[in-house]
Amino acid sequence: MSSKESILSRIRSHTGTRYEQPEITLDAIHYEDKTGQFSESLKAAGGAAVVLQAGEDINELIRKHFPDAKRIASNLSEITCATFDPDSVSDPRELNNTDLAIVEGCFGVAENGAVWITQQVKHKALYFISTGLVILINKEDLVNNMHEAYKRVEGTDYKYGFFVSGPSKTADIEQALVFGAHGPMNVLVILR
Amino acid sequence: MSTKHSIAAARFIANRKQEAWHDETLWMVRVKRDKMSHSLPEWERLRELACDIKMYSNSHLDTLLEEFEKNAIANGAIVHWAKDAKEHNEIVEKILQQHNAHTLIKSKSMLTEECGMNEYLFSKGYDIVESDLGERILQWMHLHPSHIVMPAIHIKRQEVGEMMERVLGTEKGNSDPTYLTHAVRKNMREKFLTADVAMTGANFAVASTGEIVVCTNEGNADMGTSFPKVHIATFGMEKIVPNQEALGVFTRLLARSGTGQPITSYTSHYRKPQDGGEFHLIIVDNGRSDILAKPDHIRTLNCIRCGECMNTCPVYRRTGGYSYTYFIPGPIGINLGMLKNPEEYSDNVSACSLCLSCSNVCPVKIDLGEQIYRWRQDLDKIGKASSEKKVMSGGMKFLMERPALFNTALKFAPLVNKSPRFMIYNGLNAWGKGRELPTFAKESFNDMWKKNKIQKP
Repeated sequence: MSSKESILSRIRSHTGTRYEQPEITLDAIHYEDKTGQFSESLKAAGGAAVVLQAGEDINELIRKHFPDAKRIASNLSEITCATFDPDSVSDPRELNNTDLAIVEGCFGVAENGAVWITQQVKHKALYFISTGLVILINKEDLVNNMHEAYKRVEGTDYKYGFFVSGPSKTADIEQALVFGAHGPMNVLVILR
Repeated sequence: MSTKHSIAAARFIANRKQEAWHDETLWMVRVKRDKMSHSLPEWERLRELACDIKMYSNSHLDTLLEEFEKNAIANGAIVHWAKDAKEHNEIVEKILQQHNAHTLIKSKSMLTEECGMNEYLFSKGYDIVESDLGERILQWMHLHPSHIVMPAIHIKRQEVGEMMERVLGTEKGNSDPTYLTHAVRKNMREKFLTADVAMTGANFAVASTGEIVVCTNEGNADMGTSFPKVHIATFGMEKIVPNQEALGVFTRLLARSGTGQPITSYTSHYRKPQDGGEFHLIIVDNGRSDILAKPDHIRTLNCIRCGECMNTCPVYRRTGGYSYTYFIPGPIGINLGMLKNPEEYSDNVSACSLCLSCSNVCPVKIDLGEQIYRWRQDLDKIGKASSEKKVMSGGMKFLMERPALFNTALKFAPLVNKSPRFMIYNGLNAWGKGRELPTFAKESFNDMWKKNKIQKP
C-alpha cells in the first residue's frame, strides 16, 4: 500500500463524527471612508498611501517620494522614470541592488492596508529584492475586509499571488520593531 | 516529586530580571491582541466560524486532501505523502539528491522541527540555512525555538550582539536591534541568491485550488523561493481548508491573535511552479490521523499555530519555553505532547493553573485548559501521578468522607499557624514548595454558621 493509501485509510477508519460545512455568514466590518481607512491601516503597518490628484504626474510623484533612487525597475508603460525593464534580465539575481520597483496591484483592503498582487513580472524576486516598492492601484479598487477580498480573488487564475501590507518587518530581537528585515524597507501605494 | 517542568522552570526563574521582562513582553503582545479583537464587533463570530470550519475540514480530511492533490497536480505541482517524520525527511533528501543540491534555504516551519529534519540533513552533509531572523539567530547559537511565533523571545539583545560580533563581525558592543537586523539582512542576501533549493512550511492548504498560503512579516519565504528553481512546501494535513472563502476567516484571525497585527506583512499564495522550476508539496501525517480517533482531543487539530495561548499563559510567561519537555511549549504544546507520547511528556501537564485564559482567547476555540485537566485525570492510569499528591489526596478523601473526623481536624487546624516551619514546609508537603500557606482562621465556617454569625447580605 502506498503512503497515500495508508494515510487515507487511517483517516477513514479514525474519523468519527463528520461535522457539517458551516455557512460563512457574518456582519463583517465596513467603512464609510474606505480610502481613509486603507491609508490609516497601511500607515500603522509602516507603509504609506497617497491619492494621485487630478493633473498630477505619477512619475513626478514617485520621484518626489524616492529622490535618491538610482536603479529603478518597472515593466509598466506609464512609468517613464524607470531606468530598466526587470523582465529584460534573464536571471533574477541580476535584480539585486535595485533601489526602487514600481508594480501594479489588483486592489487594496481597508481593514489592514494590504494590497493583492498577482505575479505580473517575469521574476517574482522583484517584489522583494528592491529597497523601495511602489504599488499602483485604481482608487476605486478598495474592499472593506478580507471576506470581500477573497470574493474578488475567487475564480481568478495566477501562478503566485500575495497580499502585502507595508514593508518587510521583524521584531525577533527583543520585540523591537525593525523595517526591512529581508524585503523592501519602504512601501508606497499610489491610488490613481 | 518535582516534574521536569518545575525543575527547568526554577532555572528560568533564577534570573528574576529576565523572567519579569519575559512576562511583561509577552503580556504586551496579549494586550495588542485585545486591542485588535476589540476593534472588530464580529470577533467572536469569527472565532466560532473558524472553529466550525476546522471541525468540518478535520472530519473530512480524506476527501479534502484528495481534492487538494488533484488540483495541485493540475497546477503542475508534485505531491508527496509522508506517513511519519522519517518518510518526510527522506522525501526532502531525495529531492535534494535529484537536483544535486547542497544548500537548502528555509523559512520557519514547526513541522520540520517536529520531524527533526535539520539534524537529519546536516548529518547527511547538507547545509540548511534558516531565513527567519529569529530562527537564524537560534541556528547560530545552536538553540531551538522557545516560542512558535517569536522563536528567540528568550534571548536578550546583548547576547545577540555578542554572538553577531563573532559570526558576522559586527561592531563591538553594538546591540541595537535595527543595526543587528540590517547586518543579518546583508548576510542573508548572499544566502538567498546562492541557495540551491528553497523550502517553506504552509499556514493553509486550500483544497479547492490546490494552492498553499504562507504568512510571514519578514518576506523571507518569498525571498527564499525567488531564486532557486525548486520549492518544497511541507505541511501537516490539518492545515487543509476547504476554499478561499475560509481563508477570509483565518487571515483575519491569525495575526491579530498571534502578534496583534491586523494581518502579516505577507500572505503569499503559491499555486504553480515558477517558469522552468519544480514545486513539491509534502502532505504529512506523523500521528495526526491517530488524533482523529480521540474525540476528547480532536480539537487540537484546529490549531493554526498563532502562539496566542503561550502569550496569555501565566505559567508560560513566567517559566519560558525551555521549561517544557515537548518541542512546542505552552498550552497547545502540553496537549500535543500528550497526544504524541503521554509517558514521555506527562511532566508538562502540571504547568497549568487551569485559569483557562488560553481557551478563552484561542482563535479556533480549542478547549486547551479543559483538555489539560482531562489529561491530569488520566495520569494515574499511565503511572505518572505524583506519589506524594496521591497520598495527600487519599488522606483528604478519607477525611472528607468522615464529617466528624473532618470537623475535629478543622478545630485543630489553627494549631498549624503556630507550628514550627520545618513541620509544614518539608518534603512531604508538595503544596508548601515555592509558596506560603495561608493562615487558618480561628473559627471554621461551620462553627460560625452554627453560632448564627453568618449574615445574609
